[in-house]
Amino acid sequence: MGGAAAKVALLGAGRMGQVHGRNAVASPRFDLAWLVEPRAELSASLCNALGCRPAGLTDVLADSDVVGVIVASSTDTHLDLVLACLRAGKAVFCEKPLDLELARLRAYADELAAPCAPLYVAFNRRFDPEFRALKRRLASGAIGALETLHLISHDPAAPPPAFIPTSGGLFRDFTIHDFDVARWLLEEPPTEVFAWAECLVDPAIAAAGDVDTARLVLRCASGRLCVISNTRRSGYGYDQRVEAYGSRGAALAGNPRISTVETWSETGALAAPIYPGFATRYVQSYRAELDHFADVLAGEAEPETGYDASMAALLLADAAFRSLREGRSVPVETA
Amino acid sequence: MAAVALFGAGRIGAIHAANAAAHPKLSLKYVVDPVAEAAARIAEAHGAMLARAEAALADSEIAGVIVASPTDRHLDQCLAAAAAGKAIFCEKPIDLDLARARAAAPALAKARLMLGFNRRFDPHFQALKARIDEGAIGSLETLNIVSHDPAPPPVAYVKASGGLFRDMSIHDFDTARWLLGEPPVSVFASASCLVDPAIGAAGDVDTAKILLRTASGRLCLISNSRRSGYGYDQRIEAFGSRGMVRAGNVTESSSSTWTEPGEARDRFQSFFLDRYAAAYRLEMDHFAEVLAGAAPRVGYADGVAALALADAAAQCARTGEPVVL
Repeated sequence: MGGAAAKVALLGAGRMGQVHGRNAVASPRFDLAWLVEPRAELSASLCNALGCRPAGLTDVLADSDVVGVIVASSTDTHLDLVLACLRAGKAVFCEKPLDLELARLRAYADELAAPCAPLYVAFNRRFDPEFRALKRRLASGAIGALETLHLISHDPAAPPPAFIPTSGGLFRDFTIHDFDVARWLLEEPPTEVFAWAECLVDPAIAAAGDVDTARLVLRCASGRLCVISNTRRSGYGYDQRVEAYGSRGAALAGNPRISTVETWSETGALAAPIYPGFATRYVQSYRAELDHFADVLAGEAEPETGYDASMAALLLADAAFRSLREGRSVPVETA
Repeated sequence: MAAVALFGAGRIGAIHAANAAAHPKLSLKYVVDPVAEAAARIAEAHGAMLARAEAALADSEIAGVIVASPTDRHLDQCLAAAAAGKAIFCEKPIDLDLARARAAAPALAKARLMLGFNRRFDPHFQALKARIDEGAIGSLETLNIVSHDPAPPPVAYVKASGGLFRDMSIHDFDTARWLLGEPPVSVFASASCLVDPAIGAAGDVDTAKILLRTASGRLCLISNSRRSGYGYDQRIEAFGSRGMVRAGNVTESSSSTWTEPGEARDRFQSFFLDRYAAAYRLEMDHFAEVLAGAAPRVGYADGVAALALADAAAQCARTGEPVVL
């Protein structure tokens, strides 16, 4: 740490742009100078809130003081923006996913895998304090050798049906996080994927050609197994848990609650609800991943996840769709 | 008082004998087991008599038979008891061979046969089922069942067990059928030998993840391991349209110790006879109801259905192809 604040620009003033923008402004390690957002109203209000100025991408890339760019625009724009920034020699923080298309990622593999400036693709769960603590327990040998993993990842409520066609589908949009967490914790690449998925939550999701409820089984060459449980709607908040089973025990990361208050009455005990969504549940992970980007900019860290992790997660997502179509366990393609 | 005979004086037989003897509506009259010493110990403890199977079944005073013998004897003893017109409480599984189990349908499908799937009688899982039934979580969509043994059994046991799916997962298949509210129509299983290479050498697996799917698209995950390292891990999470209901592990006590490294809760119960002690008592209670004329809540057809799921899981684990039932 230390040194001058890094001058950065933010691309995108949507939901995630607002999160990252606020965190950048709150951090002494960043000087958020520019916001690139074509929607004028959105741009003006976020610039006002963050105390930065609107700019076009060309101007941002031409600003030689800008050392890093935070890409938080809509998914379909990520790859082009990332490439433009890298070519201009700017370090990149890109919100996941890098892209939804394997072919597009492969087409730019050389540029992305060994970029001329650091490329960090933000899989926020790796920076969640709960999951990091669990990972440390695994690394310390507390449960012996890891054997199997359960990832429970349930959204509080289904997104608007209009979002579904642009999402890339459940596995690329949603399960992609779990694929990355699985790879991170297993420390061994899954080689086989089986997926069953249904539309049980909202018929509009099926009408848009997607599923909303899934169970997946990933298998590694060593025989280690990982189960992923997904739904678009839990009915009780954002359910984000990891259960790791090893040769000497288990390590579990549960759901933090919005308060520790419990109410005990004749009908039993009522605990406070868990967090209602990603913005509240993963508050600390968004701060920590941006801090990681500051480390990267300061030359103190290599990006935790970049092209390889993006590719690997997307390969698992594609395998899951293939398994769903073919109705059998399928091998995971190689990059 | 209904007089009953116990077939099989092993570990589980001793539990059922004690529960039958303690039950106000049952009297344990005979203990039947070729291992005379084991039979004598139980008979003596509960004031019962030793008898041969034929004699016990010929006694018109005997209303019910508890079959707690080794698995390979279950089906024949059930058939003999049914032929003698007795009500039957048979330990799980009904048999390890699906064809044999199915062939017994003419004699057993209509028999007063209660199958000892103890999970159905566990107060924790019954409470979970009651919450589902009363609509607390809306309509049930998916189910996660975790069923991990504390430590692997001796390899000699594994060899005679019929394999992980028929021996261990069979409980979870029945629990899934009980809770899902509709029969699974397809099965996927991925299994490994991660716990003990000797289990692999005996041709079995010790770790498995199984998925079941029903006609309406409800999904169920079953997680099995022969060794948890931390006790008997028996949990269920049921997810519905309005929420989730879960049943957790039972600890040896409710005490917890708070010190600098954190809160140390007491251990999970690590022995199935402890964890399911209440379930075994409630099973016997239900058998008394069956003897008084009630229809068995879980019977022959459930045993066959669970075995069919076990066979399907074993097949899928071998081939990698999900099995449609």
